[in-house]
Amino acid sequence: MTLFSTQALSVDVPGRRLLHDITLDLPAGQVIALIGHNGSGKSTLLKALARQMPATGAITFESRALGDWSARDYARRLAFLPQTTPPAEGMLVRELVALGRYPWHGALGRFGPDDQAAVARALAECGVEAFADRLVDTLSGGERQRVWLAMMVAQEASTLLLDEPISALDIAHAVDVLTLVRAMCHTQSRSAIIVLHDVNMAARYCDHIVALKAGRVALQGTPDTLMTREALHEIYALEMDVLDRADGTKVAVPA
Amino acid sequence: MTRATLPLAGAAMLSLILWSLSALNQLPFANWPALPFRAAEMDLTQILLAFGLMPRGVIALLAGAALGLSGALLQTVLRNPVADPTTLGMSSGAQLALVLATILAPELLTTGRWPIAFLGAGLATGVVLMVGARRAFAPVTMVIVGMLVGMTASAIATAVTLSQGQYLLSLVIWNGGSLVQQDWTGVLTLLGVLTACTLAAFALARPLRVLSLGIEGASGLGLNVAAVRLSAIAVAVVLAASVSAELGLIGFVGLAAPALARTLGARSIPQRLALSPVIGALILSLCDGMVLTIAGTSGEMFPTGVLTGLIGGPLLIWLLPRLRGSTPPGTESAEGPAPRLARAWPLLIAMAATLVAAALVLVWIGRVPGGWAILDTESFATFLPMRLPRLIAAASAGVALALAGAILQRLTANPLASPEVLGVSGGASLGFAGVIYLATAPAAALIYAGTMAGGVIALLLVAIFVLRRDMPTERILLAGIAVSAFATAVLSAMMASGDAKSWTVLAWLSGSSSAVTMPGALGLLAVALALWTTALMARRWLALLPLGQGVASGLGLPLRRARLALIMMAGVATGAATILVGPLSFVGLMAPHMALRFGLARPEHHLTGAALIGALLMLAADFGARMAGFPYELPLGLFASLIGAPWLLWLLMRSR
Repeated sequence: MTLFSTQALSVDVPGRRLLHDITLDLPAGQVIALIGHNGSGKSTLLKALARQMPATGAITFESRALGDWSARDYARRLAFLPQTTPPAEGMLVRELVALGRYPWHGALGRFGPDDQAAVARALAECGVEAFADRLVDTLSGGERQRVWLAMMVAQEASTLLLDEPISALDIAHAVDVLTLVRAMCHTQSRSAIIVLHDVNMAARYCDHIVALKAGRVALQGTPDTLMTREALHEIYALEMDVLDRADGTKVAVPA
Repeated sequence: MTRATLPLAGAAMLSLILWSLSALNQLPFANWPALPFRAAEMDLTQILLAFGLMPRGVIALLAGAALGLSGALLQTVLRNPVADPTTLGMSSGAQLALVLATILAPELLTTGRWPIAFLGAGLATGVVLMVGARRAFAPVTMVIVGMLVGMTASAIATAVTLSQGQYLLSLVIWNGGSLVQQDWTGVLTLLGVLTACTLAAFALARPLRVLSLGIEGASGLGLNVAAVRLSAIAVAVVLAASVSAELGLIGFVGLAAPALARTLGARSIPQRLALSPVIGALILSLCDGMVLTIAGTSGEMFPTGVLTGLIGGPLLIWLLPRLRGSTPPGTESAEGPAPRLARAWPLLIAMAATLVAAALVLVWIGRVPGGWAILDTESFATFLPMRLPRLIAAASAGVALALAGAILQRLTANPLASPEVLGVSGGASLGFAGVIYLATAPAAALIYAGTMAGGVIALLLVAIFVLRRDMPTERILLAGIAVSAFATAVLSAMMASGDAKSWTVLAWLSGSSSAVTMPGALGLLAVALALWTTALMARRWLALLPLGQGVASGLGLPLRRARLALIMMAGVATGAATILVGPLSFVGLMAPHMALRFGLARPEHHLTGAALIGALLMLAADFGARMAGFPYELPLGLFASLIGAPWLLWLLMRSR
């Protein structure tokens, strides 16, 4: 099944075209990595898919045109985590995570047992229960990133769009987050699209790779198609060595 | 910057043409005096040209440039796109000093207004800086304190003006900013100030750019954040205070010039610092050219400062949606975590209890000739129908304004947002003044209708703005301020006509609850309660909106609809309160900040707390207005700011 399908998708800002005629079909139920050099348009593509940025061309999500979704229905099906999270002045972690239930209860609906359960689950899954009653402003960068991730999880959307979710995390927490996202996709049949910088992380935790270069799709396929000298050189314009590990997976290091 | 060249050149041409027309009208070119000017060899018309019109043309350019530069500096250092020279209270300080000097020691003014005005501006800014120094001149603290000092100073000035009517005319003209010149000394003074400050501003351009990275980034690069902030603010203060001392209050140029510079594509800080003075000079010069053309030499007393709002307001409204420009500097969030109470309800209940107790006490006690008295049952029955409507109206107005302020501050995530910036009170004031001036002896119903119509039109204007797609909230604020500036301009022009009706308008502007009837008071109470309930219903919107557009729309919040609904709520509340007690919107600025400072962080607590504080503030102000000058009534606005401002200042200083 197709999750997203784009036809001649372009995004322009004054004086520059950020994305050129992107035509893509992204599969559902998988962890998809968006990779590419800085300024290749990864975040732009993600924002266009999240309806955070106006784009020309056609995009369909779950076979329905993006414009046909109501704001609330879209938020129930899809959660988006921006690259930089805004300050949440005076808000407790628990309150921030509870905001993720907004698409379900709306402005006036009751915050019922389902909502409470979802918030508790999200707090537990992201390992932030310990500071549930602290102010968001007082957390460290990594803790804050996990709290925002918990808000997304509480949203219970079947599709997650994450813009560099592990940029502020140490290696252990980065692995935790990607394992969590992967498990959610594989056991709860969700889909995720993640902007990542680290090709090894992308190859290791994602099922499908989309590589962008200067606003165009440079490569699309399984991690194996990415992890070759030629493909990596094409994407990053850098000589890389691809090493085989004992279990058959590959790692890339600069040559 | 090529985009900017054409409109700027056009404006320059136009202002040159306007000035030349009026100069040639005064004296044909052939008769113009030759350089160097020597008064002894000239006839009267030549003197009028060489020492009147010529310095006037030059001083318009200089003053405009000074205000533009001052505004650009302040907006950069305070990181708030709606900051301007009036934000730090300096204009009001200068005004208060002049008012006091005129009344208490007129002989001081013989040496000129300059030193007095400068002293007043300096004192006001000094207070702001003293409080600011405790927080390393942090933007949020600075703007709040600046607004408080400004409001208090202008409330006192208005009260004094009202009590000493014979001086009203000259003070109003000074307030409006008259550019009339008798010689070149003013030009030379301003030229010196402008040159020195321009050099200083450009020396500050690079540190300011580093500062725009935010406080962590800037200190990481080895910048002394407090010193840079202090020097930039000092330069801006000197510029604005010099203009205000030399020419009077010329509003709006300092706000509009940097905003226009941004929309014309000045992205970097040096570009903005360079372009803003040029635009400021052109705005003021154009306005003065129009004054000269319309009023001719006969209308010398017509203040140019009024016209800046009259022309600049609509210009800004027209330009805002058209020009993309760069994003205005973001508001910096308050430094460090805000206070937060673990349990809010005990505090809220205590506040409500205080409110009820205060209302009961205020009904019972009163002042009689020769002392204070607690009413016996008999006089209680007589006084109740007179006192009750005022108490209800004052408290309800406080609730409505405080809620409007809390909603707007959350909606825009800007601590400077108050009901006033919606333009609703401005529009309502204009409607009120319009009826007073146009109709002879208008009926109360007509006055209400006019006031309401003015408020509704202003609200509709702002609503049209909100409905446009992707309109950032800063621009909504700017649009509201533009509407307000326009209204203020028209009002000042009416007052400057020196009509006796100016009295009625000035008295109404400073707020009064004496004319309120019982049905009116109950109506306002109903509006206030309805607003409180709807605001509580919108509490989830109000929790999400401060997190920004990205998060809010990502969670499926219907952004445009929510913004429109909230702005309409705030607008209706402001309008209703304004109609009954006058435009006292600073209650709406102060009460939400006080609630936050008490640690009421969740939207429902914040809203309720702000409403209760607003009601208390207005009850106390009403009591003060009735009792302090017994048997005469003083303006409500004076007491609201005299009670509220020190209270909030104390809260701001205390918490850390």
